[in-house]
Amino acid sequence: MIKTSASVKLENITKVFKDPAGKGEVTAVNNVNYDIKPGELITLLGPSGCGKTTTLRMIAGFEVPTGGKIIIGNEDVTQLPPNKRDTATVFQSYGLFPHMTVFENVAYGLKLRKVSKSEIEERVIKTLDMVGLKHLAHRSPSRLSGGQQQRVALARSIIVEPSVLLLDEPLSNLDALLREQMRVEIRRIQKSLGITAVYVTHDRVEAMSLSDRVVLMNAGKIIQTGTPSEIYESPDSKFVAGFIGKVAFLDAEVKEISDDFVTVKLQDKILKTHKFSSDVKTGEPAVIMCRPESMKVVEENKGHINGTVKTNVYLGNSVESFIDTEHGEILVQIDNPSQKKIYTEGAKVGIEIVPELSKVLRNN
Amino acid sequence: MFSKKKVYIYIFVLLIVVFLDFWIFSNIKSTFVKITNDNNKNIVTLIDTVHSETDYNKWVKDISAKYENLSIIYLNGVPGFDDLVTYAGSEESLEFYQENSESKDFQNGLEYASYSEIYKSQNKFIYDGKNIDLYFSPVYDENEDIIGVGIYLFDNSENESFFNLLNIFAVGIIIIFAVIMYISKFTRDPVMSYIILGLFIIVGIFVVYPLYEAVRLTFIKNGVFSLEIWKTILTTNQYMEAFWGSMKLGLMTATISTLVGFLFAFTLSRTTVKGKKFISTMATLPVISPPFSLTLSIILLFGNNGLITKQLLGMSNFSIYGLGGLTLVQTMGMFPIAYLTMVGVLQSIDSTLEDASLDLNASKSRTFFKVTLPLAAPGILSAWLLVFTNSLADFANPLILSGSYKVLSVEAYIEVTGMGRLGNGAALSLLLLLPTVTAFLIQRFWVSKKSFVTVTGKPSGRITELVSKPVKITLNTLIILIIVFLIGLYGTIIAGSFVKNWGIDYTFTLDNFREALQRGKEAIGDTVTLATVATPIAGILAMLTALVVVRKKFPGKRLMEILVMVPFAIPGTLIGISYILAFNKPPILIVGTAFIIVINYVIRELPVGVESGVAALRQIDPSIEEAASDLGADVPTVFRTIVLPLLRPAFISSLSYTFVRSMTAVSAVIFLISAKWYHITVLIYNFSENLRFGYASVLATTLIVIVLLAFGLMRLLVRDNKNLEKTIN
Repeated sequence: MIKTSASVKLENITKVFKDPAGKGEVTAVNNVNYDIKPGELITLLGPSGCGKTTTLRMIAGFEVPTGGKIIIGNEDVTQLPPNKRDTATVFQSYGLFPHMTVFENVAYGLKLRKVSKSEIEERVIKTLDMVGLKHLAHRSPSRLSGGQQQRVALARSIIVEPSVLLLDEPLSNLDALLREQMRVEIRRIQKSLGITAVYVTHDRVEAMSLSDRVVLMNAGKIIQTGTPSEIYESPDSKFVAGFIGKVAFLDAEVKEISDDFVTVKLQDKILKTHKFSSDVKTGEPAVIMCRPESMKVVEENKGHINGTVKTNVYLGNSVESFIDTEHGEILVQIDNPSQKKIYTEGAKVGIEIVPELSKVLRNN
Repeated sequence: MFSKKKVYIYIFVLLIVVFLDFWIFSNIKSTFVKITNDNNKNIVTLIDTVHSETDYNKWVKDISAKYENLSIIYLNGVPGFDDLVTYAGSEESLEFYQENSESKDFQNGLEYASYSEIYKSQNKFIYDGKNIDLYFSPVYDENEDIIGVGIYLFDNSENESFFNLLNIFAVGIIIIFAVIMYISKFTRDPVMSYIILGLFIIVGIFVVYPLYEAVRLTFIKNGVFSLEIWKTILTTNQYMEAFWGSMKLGLMTATISTLVGFLFAFTLSRTTVKGKKFISTMATLPVISPPFSLTLSIILLFGNNGLITKQLLGMSNFSIYGLGGLTLVQTMGMFPIAYLTMVGVLQSIDSTLEDASLDLNASKSRTFFKVTLPLAAPGILSAWLLVFTNSLADFANPLILSGSYKVLSVEAYIEVTGMGRLGNGAALSLLLLLPTVTAFLIQRFWVSKKSFVTVTGKPSGRITELVSKPVKITLNTLIILIIVFLIGLYGTIIAGSFVKNWGIDYTFTLDNFREALQRGKEAIGDTVTLATVATPIAGILAMLTALVVVRKKFPGKRLMEILVMVPFAIPGTLIGISYILAFNKPPILIVGTAFIIVINYVIRELPVGVESGVAALRQIDPSIEEAASDLGADVPTVFRTIVLPLLRPAFISSLSYTFVRSMTAVSAVIFLISAKWYHITVLIYNFSENLRFGYASVLATTLIVIVLLAFGLMRLLVRDNKNLEKTIN
């Protein structure tokens, strides 16, 4: 069904908005460079106002970059209006045409492409079938649930076989359960069509579960890119580490850096790990980034630091243990709680850091 | 977008086009000059050779009479040998000769002529206020001997105006080419840019240009800059009387209308009363009643032969004409504007505020004066200003009912159509603009910002009675009286169409209908045709403008918003006058055609359509349009398949509004009608001027029926709107 999907190349993309309130200017996107490979799904992830939606809107053509180039396939589309680009967008608010039925909504793009009536019929039904809405073809979109509306929007976009599919926080208006379901569905359809897709979200779980690669943005700039596991397990900065998941930062001092090892001093304990960011320097303060699952609760004085159990939260497959320490409150996740020793609240305990799962970061 | 190469190519191509353009046009000009010169020379030689007269005075006069653009001066005798005797056809030409005979051109001309050569003057000469070309040519007798010199004065002012036109075209072509090339080369979405450009051209030609012409004319006397017209206007009693007359009428009408409007608005929104729907319908009805209709029935009831004044009360020296009658009729016609403005404001004031005041032991009247009234104050002021503006701009009512009382709009009309003093007319209507625009601006930018009203959702349903029983009875009685009077007025028009001779013979007849419709057939046909043509144009243009203004960013956007709104704020009289000034001459000569009337309708009704389109469009999620354009629809397609269907209610109401307002237009259109294209309202005016009140009533009734039909149709179309739920989620 799909033609060859295209690559997307962002070269030094910058977007400056005039401040609507006064004479000032706001740089929404600041010198962004990124290559998206054909058939890949990448997410633009970041807090609100980080420029991710603006970037998406520039790829779609709704905004013109103040500087830089956007290349889709081999074509420079920087100055092309949206209707001249082979992109299709799924909007946060769906943007369904309220005066048309579901069928007409989905058929809209094909009609513009002068596809024959019988082919339109066939393809619309096929696409609606794909998103599971064949039986609702002749309803008005206002009589659909949020999830169904979202599927119509998706169907309307993929039916025109765009070389790039753009999704702007498509699931943010749905409830948690539906969101999970749609996430799986979007990924399934995207993979089966082999379509290049850019997905904007501020939800890290969504980003990690969907993407081939994650582009993490903050204040108009790309902070870090990589596969979900690279970003999660090996963030380059405290900001990334904190944004992508629960984390504890333990202050430490860098003693020695060799080619693939760093030795840090954590109070009186020495810790060695091969994971450290390139900007840590010998003799300077640093932090050890610990995920809840990269620590173990042990007897007092047996771990790297000591503390007191404050609360235990039972979650079925795990227990989250909040422990008061000199470094503040630290969350440790204990998997398979039925087979582990759980210290009661108020108990003095030690925390052992698993060096392979932790990373030393510059303290800034 | 602005790569160096593209800019260079652009400049290069543009230079070539400029060069070609000037080359072609200067060729056309020089060819034209050559043809006129040859033509003139031919005439000169023709006159030379056929000359055999001896009565030189008669000969000179004959030639001037024979050739329209030629005067001749004959000098008898050979220059340099004889004393020359001058024969001029008229005093002016003799004077002209005496003034210029010492100039170099004349010396050369005579010398050439004495050598049997034709000489054309090198310098410019002005004769009789026009530019002329001078030719000097020998005149021969039968033996081909030179007996004198002819000086030929060719009027070439027509050439000049033709050259001016050519220049406009030459420059215009370059500008158009430069802009089109710029758009297609440098803008991202050429279609959008062309639409914006088109809108700018439309408002430029049909709003800015005529107003500019009107202003310009008031500063010109005999072709040069002068303040004389303004001096005349500001120092002549008659004109100043009209100015203060308008102001006085405006003050009275605005104040009384606001009181009446508040009476209705307060009663309907703050008290319990039966038949609210009926009362509010009656209070809005006059808004759509055609011009002259209320005036007509006032005259039928209170005029010199009025039913009430003459027949019932037997008064003989009562006159309804003047300030009193005008205030009455304007109040009846305009209090709905005040009512509609204030009822909205009162309804959105949360009545829990009044409850709180009563709860704190304030009396009902104290609550009214300390809570309700201050909260409604901005709305009341706004209503007053709106009525004031409308009263000043009103033309139809004073036209019939002012008698010897003077108001600006009518005075301007008389200056233009009666006296032919266009400059004075333009100045008077500009004078009218001053208070109108001031009031409009105060209302728009100051009062609306002062508003205390916050939109909290739906008007609250529950009302605490704020009036005591006796007050309530007084209020209700007043309302009933006004409604009865209003119904009486409309009844009178209808009755008037069935009565043989109002005031004298009240027998029932259908003759009026036969005769009035017979005579008015063409005017009705013209009006319906023109309004029908203008309606869809205005509707689509309004929605397109709304789309551009709400959704697109472009330089000069604010300017466009203002220019589109301008025809709403300025009185129709000024528009009418400025249109005949601007479009009665090249390059746009459309006075007398249907075209100018249609354009006038479109431009005047555009602002309301744009406003409703803008309001509707702001309710619609922009991503709906973005989705369409993202799927490959260009701007016109988005407009046709998405915007227009979504704006359907606003679109239809702006259509019906345009149609009705065009059908009932009078103040501007009265200047623009011609023998070929007449207007029903003007015919009503003519009938009433000739005291044919029966015919006038028939036409007014017809117009009311048409207006009601149009609104009914609109209601029907808007209601049939099931599948349109504006925003999803």
